[in-house]
Amino acid sequence: MHATPSPPGRGLAGLGPALGTAGVVLALWYLLAHSGSVAPGLLPTPGRTAAALADSARSGALAADLGASLSRAGQGFALGAVIGSALGFTTGYLPVVSAAVTPVVSFLRPIPAIALVPLATAWFGIGESAKRLLIAYAVLLAVWLYVHDGVSRVPVSHLRAARSLGAPLRRRFTEVLLPAAAPAVLAALRYGASVALLALVAAELGGADSGLAYRLQVDGQFLRVDRMFAGLLVLGLLGVTVDLVLAAVGRRFVHWSAS
Amino acid sequence: MSLGVRLEALSAGYGSAAPVLELTDLEFPPGSFTALLGPSGCGKSTVLGLVAGFVRPTAGRVTAGSEPVRGPGPERGVVFQHYALFPWRTARGNVEFALKRLGLPRAERRRRALAALAEVGLAEGAQKYPAQLSGGMQQRVALARALAAEPEVLLMDEPFGALDALTRTRMQSLLRELWQRRGTTVLFVTHDIDEALALAGRVIVLGGSPGRVLADHAVPAGPPDPDLRALIARHLGSE
Repeated sequence: MHATPSPPGRGLAGLGPALGTAGVVLALWYLLAHSGSVAPGLLPTPGRTAAALADSARSGALAADLGASLSRAGQGFALGAVIGSALGFTTGYLPVVSAAVTPVVSFLRPIPAIALVPLATAWFGIGESAKRLLIAYAVLLAVWLYVHDGVSRVPVSHLRAARSLGAPLRRRFTEVLLPAAAPAVLAALRYGASVALLALVAAELGGADSGLAYRLQVDGQFLRVDRMFAGLLVLGLLGVTVDLVLAAVGRRFVHWSAS
Repeated sequence: MSLGVRLEALSAGYGSAAPVLELTDLEFPPGSFTALLGPSGCGKSTVLGLVAGFVRPTAGRVTAGSEPVRGPGPERGVVFQHYALFPWRTARGNVEFALKRLGLPRAERRRRALAALAEVGLAEGAQKYPAQLSGGMQQRVALARALAAEPEVLLMDEPFGALDALTRTRMQSLLRELWQRRGTTVLFVTHDIDEALALAGRVIVLGGSPGRVLADHAVPAGPPDPDLRALIARHLGSE
């Protein structure tokens, strides 16, 4: 018996150059901050940033903010991803539906989520549901577009072959359309997750009493650049982590695709 | 076990554009092996699509056995030019996809899939994914998959067009062998005159715009007949 193919050597091996670049950036930051050419009030040293991060971790503020933000982004993402995927499969598979809704999507898509914050506040107040809906909306549009594109690119010969082999509609969906579109769905979810973080920041800046972006705003009012740097670091790391996790999960399911 | 196919006053086209096909009547008796020969754009693939049920005629009708064709169906198997294998399934998984229709127990399905792969000389590659197989091997899997569904008509759209000459010759003898064993009605689309003569008992030359039948020749068994080849080449060249 032959073994199933193992995915090519990505993942850990690819981390080398990335860590190298991070090291260079860190070194430049260190040199610039210690050179005295920038006022310390504007650019914190890596050491002070680390200390600010450790402070907020010790006080529990970091965990509380991270928890609030992750909960919002996670719920908004889940809602948007489910609806966006469903719409993407529908419009990608049925050109008639696609022709009807494409103009609407083309109009809505260029409007950034942050532009919708005032409207979302007016409609839903500044509570949690307004934030979740804003994130869900931004994720929905992004996921819809990617999934639609992937589904409409499923080779017609795959669907024809399935019909000629006597597969009924249900099997054509679960055994052909779903796996054929899976690489695109995975790409859509990764992109959707990054959009969720962007929308999260927009939503929290629009009025919140907790969360990573809320904390950034508060720290900004007190000109605590060390804390702001720490917050930005956490946001960036969060994005990278989520993407790595989704990519790793995806590779398990989409083992046949090179992307 | 095979069905005859009849085309009656068949025309096909896409939208308001000029029709791609205007056929007189054609009949393919059960168990026959017919090559549809012609240059690209002559409508030969459209004929196959009409019989497969992928394309609807603008006029006329197609019957397989006694039933009019209303859409794709498992009694009319298709082998595609670019194999159309599912890349997320192994060779065995692709063949099992075709067998699911029969409602067999899992072990029996697996046994039959392996037997079908062995029949096309691919017992070794059963656990491999299409991306791990050469073009010729992929087309063997596609053939095994199409035959596993036990079609009564096999429709082949330039199935060996993307293969190198040697692999192509091997696939041609494999196909002849399978056809002799099973007696399935075969419609084989190609633009290669020698392939048509090597495989088929009848060669239909299509051409013109809209496409129509230019010539219809029985191919006698035995060694290739240079006069027949020259005659068919003239029909093709008159385009």
